[in-house]
Amino acid sequence: MSIGLKEPRAGKAAAQNTASRKPAGRKAPAQDRRPGSSIDVQRKKLLVPFVGPAFVLYTVLFIVPALGAVWISLHKWAGSGPMKFVGLDNYGRIFRDRLFLSSFGNTLLLLFVVGAAIFILAFAMTLVLRDMAGKKMVRNVIFFPHLINALVFGVLAGFIFNPGGMVNSLLAPFGVTDPPKWLAQDNIFPLIMVTLVCTTTGYFTTILMAGVDRIPPYYYEDCALAGASAFQRLRYVILPLTWDVFGTCAVLWTISSVKIFEIVWVFGGSSGAGVPPTQSWTAAVYTYVNAFSGQSTPAYGAATASAVLSLALISVLVVLLRRAMRRDAVEF
Amino acid sequence: MSEYKPAAPMTARRRGRRGVSPALRGERSVVRGLGVGLLWLVVAISIAALVWMVAQAFRDTRAILDDPWGVPASLDFGNFVRAWTVGDFAVATWNSLLTTVVSSVLTVAIAAPCAYYLSRVDNKLTRGLSLYFILGLGIPAQVILIPLFVMLNKVYLTDSIIGLNLVYIGVSMPFTVFLLTAFFRSLPLEMEEAAALDGTTAFGTFWRITLPLAKGGILTAFILQVISHWNETLLALTLLQSTEKYTLPVALISFVQQQTYSGADWGGLFAGLVMVVLPMLVIYVWLGRRLTEGLTLGMGK
Repeated sequence: MSIGLKEPRAGKAAAQNTASRKPAGRKAPAQDRRPGSSIDVQRKKLLVPFVGPAFVLYTVLFIVPALGAVWISLHKWAGSGPMKFVGLDNYGRIFRDRLFLSSFGNTLLLLFVVGAAIFILAFAMTLVLRDMAGKKMVRNVIFFPHLINALVFGVLAGFIFNPGGMVNSLLAPFGVTDPPKWLAQDNIFPLIMVTLVCTTTGYFTTILMAGVDRIPPYYYEDCALAGASAFQRLRYVILPLTWDVFGTCAVLWTISSVKIFEIVWVFGGSSGAGVPPTQSWTAAVYTYVNAFSGQSTPAYGAATASAVLSLALISVLVVLLRRAMRRDAVEF
Repeated sequence: MSEYKPAAPMTARRRGRRGVSPALRGERSVVRGLGVGLLWLVVAISIAALVWMVAQAFRDTRAILDDPWGVPASLDFGNFVRAWTVGDFAVATWNSLLTTVVSSVLTVAIAAPCAYYLSRVDNKLTRGLSLYFILGLGIPAQVILIPLFVMLNKVYLTDSIIGLNLVYIGVSMPFTVFLLTAFFRSLPLEMEEAAALDGTTAFGTFWRITLPLAKGGILTAFILQVISHWNETLLALTLLQSTEKYTLPVALISFVQQQTYSGADWGGLFAGLVMVVLPMLVIYVWLGRRLTEGLTLGMGK
């Protein structure tokens, strides 16, 4: 660890001071420690050495670029040469750009359609997993895809759905002689959506499980005594008690779905120029291609405008979600 | 949103549940049986897919294409050797390893004191700072992509492993600070107070009391960073341009794209995939429980 700043050992007198002020034999709980107690005073001096490095790095490498993105999105700029201030022109332009609209539409599809599918499946899996034998093992296995780079799934899908690939050879015995062209430009995006559902559900199941596992068993026992049906138990016990975990998952998915890039980039092995077919672009891909693909003059303004809109989408949704999910937290 | 609850009672409850309440095991419906069956099927397919992928990495491209269901006839490392030499995966693996380890160590080393301060001092400033750090959790990487590229280009840190490390550290701050703050809050304060009474300085209590207590949480944060930095693609793809600087995911992408011109080398590609996946599997098998707990701990809020 790098923080080597030693505070001068002035603590002794101060510490004795604390001792005399605290009534003996009473442990001070975390919350109501008096503001003036000396360890606190001393701790406060650590603000700069402790928080400083993290604050500086985070501000310079994260917050400043984020603000810079807003700034760049107001300019016409090709990455070098003069920046021309154009106000909100870039936003107007991308909204007239078919490509952007379809990319942003795809991002929304991922966010809502894939999101809904993941949640329904994850919740169903949680309910089944809740008290089945071997649940730890199942959970460990379905969590693992979360640790794999999405690139891997994209490349594998290219192999599996090849015209002469595994899916078609599996379908052949069932009399499918004319299988759909899986990797045709129009079919790639739906395939990406299916792949994402398959690879992401396990992660959210794991998180939901952690919430469901927190429910103390006597609630279920009470349900059994009261003769509640499985549905009633779900409606009146499980759902209300895991509501906050659902909210967290929804926020997580919102944030991570808008970033989806790698899997689109390589899905099915990419086409000639290294850029995936436009039908499967997401907003993140749109940003990247417009700035760095080297195919045309980089349009930094439009590219950042697209990214800033994604950020706006996230912010609005997170605020809405927090509001919608704000119920009386059930304490148990 | 409820407060995070420490893991200990949770596991105790989970353990205590088995056998205690017959009410839980009462129902045996067809739907449920079906669900259980399906889940085991999912598990079987997942494991089979992983084994299949590793197996294909040991077969040559023609064999893979002829019979994708086959098993390797012998343990042939030819694919790996080719990927290693032709595909520049050797350099890429080294770069990935270096970047992952260095940036993860530094991330945790820088975030831990900050999280400690934010968890122990409670005033307007720290509440504001916590919020400021959490803000970053919601900013997707593509937003900072272009400005970051421009900024780093000005100071000659694009196409540089050092630059990439710096970026990874900065970008990881929100999550790591958030996770560790939650973790430090869950630690008991009594020991720190006792140490303070004995005349230890504030820094001393952090260094000698809290850090040793927090070893588990810090290790978890470290491993989570290792995983995310090992897999990070978009920023590396943007910031690195020359082949000898590529990290593994970027090398994999360029390998895929070369194939459009040079014909598919599925053998080499599978070897590359295995190189990306296997370290994660090793970490998961080794520290899996800590990981899932760490992730759900961070999310419990």
